[in-house]
Amino acid sequence: MQDNIISTITPPEYRERKTWTQREKTLAVVLGLVVLLVFYITLDANKYRAEVRVVEGSGRVGVNPTTELLDFGDLSRGTSAVRRISISNNTGIPMWIAVVRVGSITDLMNPDKNYFILPARTQESIIFTTYMPASGEVGALYTGRVFVFRIPLPGA
Amino acid sequence: MFMKKALSIIFEILLYAVIAGGVLWGLPTFLSWKLDTPHPIAGVTSASMWPALRRGDLILIEGVAPSELEEGDIVVWRHEGGFTIHRVVALNQKTLVTKGDGNFDEDKPVRYEDIVGRAVEMRGKPFRIPYLGFVTITVQKHINY
Repeated sequence: MQDNIISTITPPEYRERKTWTQREKTLAVVLGLVVLLVFYITLDANKYRAEVRVVEGSGRVGVNPTTELLDFGDLSRGTSAVRRISISNNTGIPMWIAVVRVGSITDLMNPDKNYFILPARTQESIIFTTYMPASGEVGALYTGRVFVFRIPLPGA
Repeated sequence: MFMKKALSIIFEILLYAVIAGGVLWGLPTFLSWKLDTPHPIAGVTSASMWPALRRGDLILIEGVAPSELEEGDIVVWRHEGGFTIHRVVALNQKTLVTKGDGNFDEDKPVRYEDIVGRAVEMRGKPFRIPYLGFVTITVQKHINY
C-alpha cells in the first residue's frame, strides 16, 4: 500500500519572513520609545479641574481660592477673576511647557503664557484669567480641565 | 520594468497633486459660486460671539441682499481693520447695528454696502466646524506676513 504524500506550496512571503529584519527591529524600538515617552509625559502632567459659576448682578466676584483647583468662584457678567498656578522644573533638563484646556470653560479662561521653555532648576507661575462675557448664562456652571504638559528638551 | 515603475510613481504623484489642488483651489471656488460671495470661508479669531461661535471655528458665509437681512442674523462686514462677524440687533434705513453676543456694547453702525455676507445656518444654529478655523487663521497669518 502506498503512503499518501501531501505536498504543500508555501507562498514566498511566508517562507522568507521567519524573523524580523533589522529595519523592523529598529522601527519597533523607536515606536516603543515614543510610546514610553508619551506615557511618561502624560503621567507627569499637572492636572487641574477648573470651574466658574455665573451669578446675577454686576461687579460680583466670589472668592474660592484653593491650590488644587482652578476655582474662579462666582462671577457676574463683565467681571473677571485671576488664579495662579506654579510649575517647577527640578531636573537638569529644560522643559517645554504646553497648557491644554478642555471643557466649557475653555473659551472663558486664558493663561498669560503658553508653549514656552522652562529652564532647568527653575520655577514659573502661570496666571489664568477668566472673564465672564455678556452672553454668560446666569446660574450656569462652566467647568473644564487644565493639563500642564512638561516635555523634556535636552540641549534647548 | 524600471520605466513602468517610474511612470506609475509619476502618475500617482500627479494624481495626488490634482486631488490636493482640487481641494485647495476647487472647494473655495465652488463655495464662492454656490454661496454667492467672494469670501465663503472664515475662521473665528475671537470669543466675542461666544457661545454661538467659538475661537477657532470654521464657518461658511453666504451672500445676502440687504432686503433679506433680519434682526438676529449673524453677519460679516468689512472695515479698515479687516472683517468682523457679529449679530444684527437693529436694521435702519441706511445702516444696520450689530453687537457681539459676548459684548456689552453695540458696534458702530455698519453700512449695507460693507456687508460681505451672512453666516450659513443649519437647524437654526450657525454652521461651524470646531478647530478647523485655526488652519485658515494660520494660513492667512503667514500669507499676510
